[in-house]
Amino acid sequence: MRKEESLTANLDWPLFGAIIAMLIMGLATVYSVAFNEDAPSLFAFSEKYGRQLFWIIFSLFLGLLVFLIDADIYRRFAIPIYLSTLVLLIIVLFMPAVHGAHAWLGVGSFGVQPAEFAKISTSLLLAKYISGLTVKQQTTGTVLTASSILLIPMVLILLQPDAGTFVVFTSFLFVMYREGLTFDPILLNFVNAIPGVRYKETWVGSHFIPILFALVLLSIITLLLDAVVFHVNLFSLDLELSGSSGVIFGLLVIYVISWLLMQRFSTRRERSRMMVVLTLGLILASMISFTVDKGFDMLRPHQKDRIELFLGLREDPNGDDYNRNRAMAAVGSGGFLGKGYREASVSSVRSNHVPESETDFIFCPFAEEWGFVGVLFLFILYLFVLFRIIIIAERQRSAFNRIYAYCVAMILFYHFAINIGMNIGFAPVIGIPLPLFSYGGSSMMSFSVMLFILLKLDAQRKEVLR
Amino acid sequence: MNLDARRNVILSFIVLVIGIYLFRLFYMQVLDDTWTLRAQEIAEKRKEIFPPRGVIFDRNGKKIVTNQTYYNLMMVEDSIQNLDTAAFAQLIGWTVPEVRQRFKDIVEGEGTYYNKITGKRTSNYQKIRAYPFLKELTLEEMSKIAPHLANFKGFHEEATSARNYPYKSAANILGYLSEVTREEIEEDHFYKPSNNIGRAGIERFYEEELRGVKGIKYIVTSALNNAIESYADGKYDTTARQAEPLKMGMDVVLQAYGEQLMQKKKGCIVAIEPSSGEILSMVSAPSYDPNLLVGKRNISSNYPKLATDPNLPLFPRPLQAEYPPGSIFKLVQSLIAMQEGVITANTGFPCDKSLVGCHNHPSARNIAEAIQYSCNPYYYMTVRRIIQQGVKKNAFADAEYGLNKWYRYIRSFGLGDIFDTDVSGQRPGLIPNSKFYDKWYGHHTWAFSTIRSISIGQGEVKLTPLQMANIVAIIANKGWYYTPHFVRSIGRKGPRPEFKKRHWTMINYKHFDPVIEGMRMVVNVPGGTGKMARLEDIVVCGKTGTVQNPHGEDHSVFFAFAPMNKPKIAVAVFVENAGWGGTWAAPIASLIIEKYLKGKVSDPEKEKRILEAQIAYKSAH
Repeated sequence: MRKEESLTANLDWPLFGAIIAMLIMGLATVYSVAFNEDAPSLFAFSEKYGRQLFWIIFSLFLGLLVFLIDADIYRRFAIPIYLSTLVLLIIVLFMPAVHGAHAWLGVGSFGVQPAEFAKISTSLLLAKYISGLTVKQQTTGTVLTASSILLIPMVLILLQPDAGTFVVFTSFLFVMYREGLTFDPILLNFVNAIPGVRYKETWVGSHFIPILFALVLLSIITLLLDAVVFHVNLFSLDLELSGSSGVIFGLLVIYVISWLLMQRFSTRRERSRMMVVLTLGLILASMISFTVDKGFDMLRPHQKDRIELFLGLREDPNGDDYNRNRAMAAVGSGGFLGKGYREASVSSVRSNHVPESETDFIFCPFAEEWGFVGVLFLFILYLFVLFRIIIIAERQRSAFNRIYAYCVAMILFYHFAINIGMNIGFAPVIGIPLPLFSYGGSSMMSFSVMLFILLKLDAQRKEVLR
Repeated sequence: MNLDARRNVILSFIVLVIGIYLFRLFYMQVLDDTWTLRAQEIAEKRKEIFPPRGVIFDRNGKKIVTNQTYYNLMMVEDSIQNLDTAAFAQLIGWTVPEVRQRFKDIVEGEGTYYNKITGKRTSNYQKIRAYPFLKELTLEEMSKIAPHLANFKGFHEEATSARNYPYKSAANILGYLSEVTREEIEEDHFYKPSNNIGRAGIERFYEEELRGVKGIKYIVTSALNNAIESYADGKYDTTARQAEPLKMGMDVVLQAYGEQLMQKKKGCIVAIEPSSGEILSMVSAPSYDPNLLVGKRNISSNYPKLATDPNLPLFPRPLQAEYPPGSIFKLVQSLIAMQEGVITANTGFPCDKSLVGCHNHPSARNIAEAIQYSCNPYYYMTVRRIIQQGVKKNAFADAEYGLNKWYRYIRSFGLGDIFDTDVSGQRPGLIPNSKFYDKWYGHHTWAFSTIRSISIGQGEVKLTPLQMANIVAIIANKGWYYTPHFVRSIGRKGPRPEFKKRHWTMINYKHFDPVIEGMRMVVNVPGGTGKMARLEDIVVCGKTGTVQNPHGEDHSVFFAFAPMNKPKIAVAVFVENAGWGGTWAAPIASLIIEKYLKGKVSDPEKEKRILEAQIAYKSAH
């Protein structure tokens, strides 16, 4: 094992290449969007692109450091790393607010955001903790511990407040799902308390996370249809259904269809069990939809406005929705082939139409300049990176490495999905950067370090016995 | 439990989301052009070019309204480098704090727009956009600044056009321009902020005819918004077209002369060409130079002065001063009486001063003499015959019948209502009918004796000078008139159809001869009241009048047309607080007639007397 001392030994070149490609594309976009003809040099440190280049070089240097250190320390020192991040997250709350959030540690443009690094340390500790468990061993305690590892930094981040990073932390739920972490122990405590009931597992507990997402989806659909009135003509009976009853009606239709399919395709034994699941699902879903609908009506007007804007039910191009509206105009005007490099007329920094077009809205100038073709290329690149990370994850011998890789994949995916979603009206404007693209030191360093740790773990995967 | 299958759940989730996003992006970028249009709107890729406003000519082809080039000093904040504020302030003749304040004002004023949704002013200031720092500089002012602009990066000049009135007269006719209001922009998308719109007179009435067709240029702005090039080689561009010139019936030389004659006096002159209804001149004295109200700077400094002037230069006297017409009404009464057959041209009445006061003169033996002497008792008796025709047994019902008949005659002279024409700001005057008196006195409680003062043009009757001038035109035409109007033609298009329609009065043409003969005698018979209007070789027909003024000295009034046989001009002259009509109004009318018909004045003494007179005019201190 010690024979190959070369740094690049066992390096996953496809992923490394893709990362470098993204960094170059990001730098090129920052150069285009923030171009100042008085300082056209890419190395002009007074300009954003000059500083971005510095951050990239600095991040690559950090990556080099990561490669010089034995990968074993991450597993061994996961707890101290995690705890020190928590300390930083607490300290940052006492720092002066920048743009209304206590997120920055340090001075001026060289400040860092501890929340960015909390993602890495949480990934490490979660990987360490879950890798020590097996499905059979799970108890109420293990579930609560795993959840706490997530919840403590989440609460601290929400106190800043930083809604974007808070949402990103829910990406760890996918990892927990992948690793078979089940909420059964907690649920069984309640279910088995009913006299005469003795379950060994509940279907809900092990699929807790997908069910949670299904519920969120159901709530959003209910809200989207809140204002709509359906006309149903049933046996010459003209029914008027409100949005939420429409959803319940739809659920009922799905139920009936599933029941008919079951009669046709399933065995009698399966049927009775699935009937229970389906019926319970229908009742629960209907109740949730109903509650969401009624709950929404009880909200105060400005809260309703917020939600309606978030869901895109209402347009307010010059008010709260200004950013998103301008961003969508920039993206949408790109066309098939784009306007050409450095021709982004809407989203360039100096034209001032799209705020934050070099940081959180960097996708705007990219999409405007390169059009759908460029977007397709970027998406393929991202898909490649995500798939490559999951391939890397699945080839690890150690559970720690695998879980960490999944964490990286899901965090990247979340950032991608929410950031691009902001630009196309699919996600609220919650200000999170596009990884490796957006201008900014903290996110550049944290994503680079996160990925280089993964590459290092992968490079050393054969040394690990566990 | 097989956890490896869950990898596929996650992978499918990722692929699903990316797929949906791609679908959405394909729709947004390729299929749907909503966002492309929105982006164009945002980046202002459509540039509108406003043509210079249409010019205006007078009846003799003299250019009376033109455009003059002015300059704005524009500022682009992003291009400003190391501004030496002190030197810049010195260059434009300001103080340093004023310059600083102006920068602030631009950001908070021009750099904001009214947000309809929130109802607040919201900033859309852009550092790369040009805003006017100084507006409406003359060539002279700009030529002092321009050579030094190279030292002040971020500032440049931009030419704009503004109105110019070379004859410095007819301000009350032409009107003026001022900046559009927010409401006007919302109502008519032709306008953009800081555009001008016709605010009064011809400029307002013919706004759409004068503003022309704006051009649209599609431009591609670079990311820096400054390299501008044509989009698709100008395939979609339209060129701006200046409006076709307006030709007015006004004689600008006559107008300027009228304004000169009326200097240091209050009152008005209205002159109409009877054969066409074109208004030759409409003086509202005191008058002012229309160039005083060109541009925002001028308006803000001069308008308050004009508005607070005690001589009321902004009050459109020819259109809105409603006077009891006085003696001119006797002409109309004569015509109605003859048409009704209650008198003939040769009916005479004794001058019975017990009926109504009169001055000393022989009794009138016919209508011409009645007009010559302006005999009040004569018209008392004549109009009594019109009103109380004895058709109804009840005297009150009879008066009602007679008055309404009289009312219909009067209305056929175009009185009692505004003319449907391009003269804006008219008042209707007042012609009473039975309903009017019923409301005043009660039904069937009034008869001729109650309303007798209308017979000599006093009492309830009120007319504007424009209406009175039109009565003269009707008499000159012997029974018909064209609606008085300003504009003869627009471009190659002739007069508007409504101006070519003859309006007939209910009076037969033959009844006009005795009236015209009376008017001739007023001016041309020795000792006639209008002798000061006499001209050597032009037969002027006229009528003096005195409008009783409860607030002070009576107004001097004179009406005339000339020449008698082929009338070319009908004129009404009012001089406020000048007393008897023959003294001041008559000579002014004759000077106007002579100037118009012959181009010069034969009696310089008469002219000098008028020019030097100052009547009831408050001089500025």
